[in-house]
Amino acid sequence: MSDRVKIVLLLAPAMIIIGVLFFGGLVIGLMRSFSYMPIIGLTEPNFDAYISIFTSREFYLSFLLTFYIAFVSTFISSVLAIGAALLLRRQFIGRAIVNFLFQLNLTVPHLVGAIGILYLFSQSGSFARLAAEWGMIARPSEFPALVFDPYAIGIILQYVWKEIPFIGVIVLANMQALGEDYESVARSLGANRWQAFIHVLLPLIFPGVLSASVIVFAFIFGAYEIPALLGANYPAALPVLAYRKYTDVDLAARPEAMAMAIVIALLSAVMIFLYVRYARRRVRS
Amino acid sequence: MRHLAKCALFASAVAFAPLAHADTADGESLIGKPWEEVVEMARGGTVNWFLWGGSDNINRYVSEYIGGILKDEYDITLNRVGLSDTVEAVNIVLGEVESGVTDKGSVDMIWINGENFRTMKQGDLAYCGYPDTLPNNKLVDWNNPSIANDFGVPVDGCEIPWSKAQFAFAYDTARTENPPRSIPELLEWIKANPGSFTYPAPPDFNGSVFVRHVFYHAAGGVDNLLGAFDQAKYDAAAAETWRILNEIEPYLWREGKTYPTSINALEQLFANSEVDLYFNYEPAGVGINIDNGTFPPTAKGYGLTDGTIGNTNYTIIPINSPNKAAALVLQNVLLSGEAQYEKAKPDVWGTSPAIEVSRTSDEVQKQFASLKKHPAVVPASELSKAALPELQADWITAIEKGWIENVGQ
Repeated sequence: MSDRVKIVLLLAPAMIIIGVLFFGGLVIGLMRSFSYMPIIGLTEPNFDAYISIFTSREFYLSFLLTFYIAFVSTFISSVLAIGAALLLRRQFIGRAIVNFLFQLNLTVPHLVGAIGILYLFSQSGSFARLAAEWGMIARPSEFPALVFDPYAIGIILQYVWKEIPFIGVIVLANMQALGEDYESVARSLGANRWQAFIHVLLPLIFPGVLSASVIVFAFIFGAYEIPALLGANYPAALPVLAYRKYTDVDLAARPEAMAMAIVIALLSAVMIFLYVRYARRRVRS
Repeated sequence: MRHLAKCALFASAVAFAPLAHADTADGESLIGKPWEEVVEMARGGTVNWFLWGGSDNINRYVSEYIGGILKDEYDITLNRVGLSDTVEAVNIVLGEVESGVTDKGSVDMIWINGENFRTMKQGDLAYCGYPDTLPNNKLVDWNNPSIANDFGVPVDGCEIPWSKAQFAFAYDTARTENPPRSIPELLEWIKANPGSFTYPAPPDFNGSVFVRHVFYHAAGGVDNLLGAFDQAKYDAAAAETWRILNEIEPYLWREGKTYPTSINALEQLFANSEVDLYFNYEPAGVGINIDNGTFPPTAKGYGLTDGTIGNTNYTIIPINSPNKAAALVLQNVLLSGEAQYEKAKPDVWGTSPAIEVSRTSDEVQKQFASLKKHPAVVPASELSKAALPELQADWITAIEKGWIENVGQ
């Protein structure tokens, strides 16, 4: 058996699953989004669903909100993850324990984290109760709205808390693989610590940070459960809006739900593509 | 599943017990069959029941009490599948039937009413015409219009009634002295007590029915809204409804900038004193929530002087269910006087029966007569003095859509 055949055979199971389930689902979703649903008498494909979502203000608001949540969460997580990795690569007493604690929440499901955020930050949550205990507030409503709020603070908090270790572990592995020689050379040539970081270390770890943050961004952009649990009812994040359309009692709303799902998939793909292209150029220069 | 496999192995090994649980997807052949034969066909099988799973006491009643009877008396395995919204189950059936799965569906039964029932009927997704096959169907008063019509849609033998419910409010006597006892009073009360009231955003089931109460008030009563959807009547009443709801919005929880999205969220807000009033289509919920420690013991349910909306809820068998015989047995068990009594116990669920209690055995009638009411729950007999009917599904869809466009945004 030639190597090429072997590779094809080894890849086949994964490719079949991706091909049949993922692309199969995508094709059916596409058909639905063009209003092709024979069961309720829709047999003429058309663009009505797309026209309807692109002319609705709610869709644009949801899109902006989702983009804002994904961008802010990814940016904050990346910056803090690099900072954490810089500290964790040093030798200090108890480093193993700190390192373990740092990665502990990788095992906590997003849903559980969201419930935790709810218990801590809602207007009747632990922090609000402490504030009331210390006489800082008299009623629950005086506590700042951090969940179900228009700025999506609770959602961003949850994502940042969850994604810092994810990006951090990747960056830390990256730094440890590089070692400190490059920085030492820079320092011996007269660069201060900050310059060594900005001009030497950062460009070296940038590809790793980038790929991790692209994964995080795409995940957040399409994730449903956190905004569903912690978000305001209007505007809703795009995946929540799509699911609402999908569970509308009116069967005619199904094509709109599918159109939104297709748009989410396309937008994620386009954004990642642009991001990677821009980043490559940055890395080369 | 493993259990099934064991059964199959055992049966084929013994070889003189034929496999009992035949595939009973052919609903037509079951209609009018002697009941013993239906039970025989169902024996040893499984039934997948999809129902809203947001209440622990309902889940326990279904899994333990009903599941126990099915197992012990009929050797049927009840598989309860919890949903956050009934429409999810409707979507499954719809998707299956669309892709040609006509006799191997994954859903054997759904707890349903209102718009979802209309959808099932609209898509010809319901198994119909079988109620007379069930021995306990004689306990149902099909001459009662509130049983024979589901939110104004004729049932036509496509579903079986399970419970009755009537909307009620609740407050905490320790926090609130005089709760508002009518919709006009409530609107005044909201303005006088800013930040202490909210309602779940429609299409949440309970939020939607709250908005309908305001809609009835805005229309000057429900009487001229009954019957088929009427655009002119709707427009007039809707404009007034959105005006009222937008006017109270700044006085709601979080100044109405956001709304809870489920009844469970409202439950939490009331339990944590973020809001001072709670309501539910299922008045017994207050008692259950006090007993399980969610609500303070000082909570108390009450009705409105201008009436609250009541309805009947049902169970339906999808057209593509492969276990129709087992589903029929389950429906018959649910209708039995004993199961309806168990469900009516305040510490179990406390919901009102959908059968005519006067048609049950003397013993069951005695049990119903001796039912102790939970002190915090407003009795169904008191609520029903001022009961309002549900509108037809088209009205409800229009009101929900209108709320999202005119108030929610």
